Amino acid sequence: MNDIFLTDVINGLAALILLFAFVLVAGVRMGQIIRAYTLGSLALGLLAAAVAYYTKADHIYVVAVLTIVLKVIVIPKFLNYTVDRIKVKKEVEPLVSIPGSLLICGGLTFIAYYIASPIIAQGSSITKNCLAISIAVVFIGFFVIIARRKAMTEIVGLLMMENGLFLAAISLTYGMPMIVEIGVFFDVLVAAIIMGIFAFKINHTFETLDTTFMRRLRD
Amino acid sequence: MMLEIMIAIPLVTALLVFITRSRRQMELVSTAGIVALFAVACYIVYDVIADGNIEYSIWYLDSLSAYMLFIITFIGLMAAIYSIPYISHEIKERELTVDRAKYYYVLFHVFMFTMLMVVISNNLGIMWIAIEATTLVSAFLVGFTENDMAVEAAWKYLIICSVGITLALFGTILAYASSITVLGESSDALNWSTLMANAAQLDPTLLKISFILIMVGYGTKVGLAPMHTWLPDAHSQAPTPVSALLSGVLLNCAMYGILRYHLIVSVSVPGFSSTLLLLFGLVSMAVAAAFIIVARDFKRLLAYSSIEHMGIIAFGFGIGGFLGIFGALLHMLNHALTKCLMFLGAGNLLQKFKTRDISQIRGVATLMPITAVLFIAGALAITGSPPFSIFLSEVTIMTGGLSSANYLAVGIYILLLAVIFAAFMYHVSKMMFGEPTEGVTKGELERSRFLPMGTLLVMILVMGVFIPTQLHDLLVKIASLFQVFP
Repeated sequence: MNDIFLTDVINGLAALILLFAFVLVAGVRMGQIIRAYTLGSLALGLLAAAVAYYTKADHIYVVAVLTIVLKVIVIPKFLNYTVDRIKVKKEVEPLVSIPGSLLICGGLTFIAYYIASPIIAQGSSITKNCLAISIAVVFIGFFVIIARRKAMTEIVGLLMMENGLFLAAISLTYGMPMIVEIGVFFDVLVAAIIMGIFAFKINHTFETLDTTFMRRLRD
Repeated sequence: MMLEIMIAIPLVTALLVFITRSRRQMELVSTAGIVALFAVACYIVYDVIADGNIEYSIWYLDSLSAYMLFIITFIGLMAAIYSIPYISHEIKERELTVDRAKYYYVLFHVFMFTMLMVVISNNLGIMWIAIEATTLVSAFLVGFTENDMAVEAAWKYLIICSVGITLALFGTILAYASSITVLGESSDALNWSTLMANAAQLDPTLLKISFILIMVGYGTKVGLAPMHTWLPDAHSQAPTPVSALLSGVLLNCAMYGILRYHLIVSVSVPGFSSTLLLLFGLVSMAVAAAFIIVARDFKRLLAYSSIEHMGIIAFGFGIGGFLGIFGALLHMLNHALTKCLMFLGAGNLLQKFKTRDISQIRGVATLMPITAVLFIAGALAITGSPPFSIFLSEVTIMTGGLSSANYLAVGIYILLLAVIFAAFMYHVSKMMFGEPTEGVTKGELERSRFLPMGTLLVMILVMGVFIPTQLHDLLVKIASLFQVFP
């Protein structure tokens, strides 16, 4: 395969990651949101594999495999399990309406491209277009945490931010040192599980997953 | 080899606590573990002072890490000793079962382990993993009582700090990216010692963005305003010995993370990181002052005071110069000791009065005279009155600011300290004096509580009068890392 084709593949996958981020924002049921996250993670894993093929760096293959195993299989399974177990209403109940959210996320993507432009200008790697998308995904993840009020959506928003960061790590530096990558994967997994446990506790204590009910601690 | 032994101690202790069968055994194992940890840590600190840095495989210890190591293990020792009467009181009051208490001790030691990892790892990526791990473990400690408020505090803590720490990971990635052109993609390119040695050649644009993200990310965990919102909730809801640990040690650990980047960025882009530290420091002090005035819950009062002191530390590092750095370093230890004393005192009040509401606590001086004396001494110390040690470090920072001609900043700093002093003492004197609250019997709780509290009081008194030579030499050595000399 030649470089141009590979660059197209990488850029295409990055665009897919952004697309699934928007699909996630547009989701109205928990199942849709988790599916959008899963597909975004799958695109991220394939992108990592493409970068690994391009750079001939073995450790990025490991990253690709770990991404697919953890973020496409284990974490979504766990999230679905949690949603099923809690048995609350599965609607998302956005604080900002869906069309409004999509507009804001479009704006965030523009801002991300603007921020990334000085770094892209001096970079030379084939993955330089990914940086803007990764910043956009981090922003959109942040927005999901703020604009959706279920505890579960906050978890998915955070996981999405993490995905954006992985894209940044791959596109800027072709991955971090092996030991750090594995540690970060482990942390993400543990964080997702612990937040799931707390989602149970919130449901148990407040009989809802709606975090807007948590207003007792204030000055 | 000593490092591996040290890092294993809290894990082994946690495991042994897990297999104990009675409350007595549990307390014994926990105490033995923390004492052993403190002893080994002291040996390592002594080693670093005598023979210089330790650097092998993934570990790196210089004078700064050794100093942090001492603070962590000492405050950990105090909090663990205090935990015994505190937790057994909870069991007696039927607030806790013995099984839950076991769970508490296990988490306590695992929490110690994660904090130790922060200060002894060389790799900035591993440091990030350790800081995230401190959040994950301590979230369970914050939500330990499992009532609605504790769960709310733990959830906020988990989400806000995870988002913050995610930004810090971005900062870490950018710091790594800034080194790629110089160091290539070698596995030690994220090692602090390597980055520091090549700091002058790193890409300054990337490093600047990286530091902003680190400042916001780890700053969330330090409790710098405006990212501090989790802190008062978590500190007020956690079991009191854990509050002492969060406030005295965890905040310092996150500050340590910022300092490691501050050291690198100061070489590459002089003045950039110190200005940011100075601004965040002053804003935190101002926000804390406002909330201290209107405080209604005494554990939240102490939590806001922690935000203030973290602000002072950031301010000191931001001012820079020998006096600024020296004062800020000294303040890290002084604040940890004093705030630990205050929280332990607050634990006595909480278990006696069963409320955190300042307006419902009256006449502590009549009801619990020893606690009152310790608490008032702590309050005077934390607000910076002589002859306590915080006075010394606050004045050192102020002098540093004046000698570097930051007159406006120092003016604001002094004004805020004065406001906080007045507001803090107003609340404390209302609680300590006056007609005792009805329905509360006279008398102190278990005597063993005064062992850690007395030790802390003696330390802050002694350090207020003179700084031991060893400590002085150590601080001068750390200051030389910042390229400032007496």
